[in-house]
Amino acid sequence: MMTIKKKNITKEIFVYLIFIILSAIFLFPIYWTFITAFKPSAEILKYPPRLIPATCTLDQFNKLFTAGNGVFLQYIKNTVIITIGTILLVLFIIIPCSFSFALLPYKGQKIIFILVLSIIMVPFQSLLVPLYNLLTKLKLFNTKIGIILIYSTFFMPFCIFMMRNAFKQLPKAIYESALLDGAGDFMIMMKIYLPLCIPSVVSCIIYLFINGWNDFILSFIFSSSDKVRNIQVGINLFGKERFTSDWGIINTGTVIAIIPTVILFIILQKYYVQGMTTGAVKE
Amino acid sequence: MKKNNGFLFSLPVILLVLIFFVYPLFDVFRISFMEWTVIGTKKYIGFSNYLKTFQEFEFWQSLSNTLIYTIMVTPLIFIPALLAAILLKSNNTRNSILRTIFFIPCTISLVASSYIWNWLLNDSYGIFNYFFIKMGFVSEGINWFSSTWSARVIICISVAWKTFGFSMIFILAGLSSISPDIYEAAEIDGCNKKRAFFSITLPLVKPTLMLALILSIAGSFKGFDQFLIMTGGGPMRTTQPIIMYINKVAFNAYDMGRSAAISVLFLLILLFVSYQQIRLGGYYDDD
Repeated sequence: MMTIKKKNITKEIFVYLIFIILSAIFLFPIYWTFITAFKPSAEILKYPPRLIPATCTLDQFNKLFTAGNGVFLQYIKNTVIITIGTILLVLFIIIPCSFSFALLPYKGQKIIFILVLSIIMVPFQSLLVPLYNLLTKLKLFNTKIGIILIYSTFFMPFCIFMMRNAFKQLPKAIYESALLDGAGDFMIMMKIYLPLCIPSVVSCIIYLFINGWNDFILSFIFSSSDKVRNIQVGINLFGKERFTSDWGIINTGTVIAIIPTVILFIILQKYYVQGMTTGAVKE
Repeated sequence: MKKNNGFLFSLPVILLVLIFFVYPLFDVFRISFMEWTVIGTKKYIGFSNYLKTFQEFEFWQSLSNTLIYTIMVTPLIFIPALLAAILLKSNNTRNSILRTIFFIPCTISLVASSYIWNWLLNDSYGIFNYFFIKMGFVSEGINWFSSTWSARVIICISVAWKTFGFSMIFILAGLSSISPDIYEAAEIDGCNKKRAFFSITLPLVKPTLMLALILSIAGSFKGFDQFLIMTGGGPMRTTQPIIMYINKVAFNAYDMGRSAAISVLFLLILLFVSYQQIRLGGYYDDD
C-alpha cells in the first residue's frame, strides 16, 4: 500500500516538474521582453545578459513616452479610439442584422447572408489597391473613420455568424408569443432576445478588440500620419526608423502593445475561446 | 413569408458590404486591366498586367516563398497543437492552466511576437546567441537573418510559437464534443485505448482537424507582418511573401494596375482554400 502511494507521489512530482519547466520555456520570450523593458539602458546591452535584472527602473517607459513629443501616447490614443469605434459600430449594425437572419426572413436574405460569408472567403489582403482607391475617393484615406469602416467590414462577418447562431438557439416560440402580445420586432430584440445572448455579445467584443488592437497591415497602408497610425505601426516605425536598435524602447513599446489583449484574454477567456471556436464543431 | 422588418434590420450591414466589399471586389478586377501609374495615366490595356506579371521573376519568387513558408510552418503549428490537445484533453486545474499558457501568445500581435523574437535572436545582445556561445555551438553571435534558410526557420518558429495555441483550442473543441458514451460502449465491447483513438477519436474529430488545418494554411498564405518586421523580405528578397510584393508594387512602385493583377491571382489561389474553410466551418447550413 505504502509503496504504491510513494510511487504516485513521485510520478505526480515528476509530471508537475515537466509542466513547470515546459511553461517556463514557453513563456520565456515574453518574460525576456518584459524584464528588458524594466532594465536601465546600460544593463540591456550588458554581456552576459542577466536573467533577473539587477535594478528595476521605469527609464525605458519614460524614454518611450517622451520621445518625439509623446508621439507614442498619440499612437495608443489612436488605437483606443479606432478599436472602440469599431466595436460600437459593429455591434450597432450587426445585432439587428443577425436578428433578422435568425428570425425575420425576407426575400433575398439568403443572397445577403452568402455575401456576408464571402467576406470570410476573400482575404482583405487582396483588396488593398481597390480599398485604397475607394478611401481616397471618399476622402477617408488617413482618417480614423476610414480605418474603422474597413475594420468593421472585414471583422464583422464572424460576429454576424456568432450572433445569428446565438439568436437561433433560442426557441422561436418566444418571438411568436411576444408578437401576439403586440411587441414590435425591435422591442422583442432589445428586451427579450439580446439580454439572453449577452455571452455572445461579450465574445464579439473580445474578438473585435483583439483584431482591432493587433491589426498591422490595414493601419500600415491606410494611414500616413501620426494622427491616425495605430500602436503596432508605431512600434514598427520606432523599431525600423526612429530608434533603430534602441532595444529598450522597442521592448517597452511591445510590452504596452501586449498587456491589454493578454489581460482581457485572461479575465474573459471562457467567452473568448467559445467565440473563437464557433464553427469548429458542427452541431 | 409575411412582411416584417427583416430587410430594414439588415440594411446598415448591406450598405457596408456593398460599399466596402462588393465594390472593391469588382474594382480589383477592373483596375487589373488598366495601366494606372503614379503620373496618373489610366487606360484599359487588356491582359498586359497579367502577362507582365507572369514574366516577372519576383512574382514567382514571392509566390514560392509563400508556398515554402506555408509548407514549413504548417506542421510546426499543427503537430504540437494536436499533441497538446490530446495530452490536455481531460479537464483538471493543471490542464486548464497549461491551455491558458499555451494560448497567451495567440492574443498578442504578430508585430509584438516578431520583435520579441528579433530581440531574443539579436546578433550582438540576444540571449539565444549567448546561450549558443556558452554551450560551444558557435564561437561568436550569429546574425540569423543574414541567410535565407535560417531566416525562414526563425520566422516559422516564431509564428508557430505564437499561433499553435489557436489550433490546439480548435482541436480541443472537437475532441470534447465527442460523447463519452461512445468510449464506454467501445470499452464494454473490448476496445483498447489505442484502437479507440484510431477508430473513434480520429474519424470523429477529422472535420475539426481539417478546419484547423485550413485556417492555419489560409493564415500562412496571408502572412505579411512577420516578414516585414523580422527580415523585411531579405536577404535578397528570399523571404518576401506575396502580400509584401503586392504591397510593394502598389505603394512603392505606384503601379496600381499590376498590383491589382497580382491581387487577383492571389485571390484565385486562395479561393479554393477559403471555400474549404466555409464548407468545413458549417458557416452556411441550409436548415
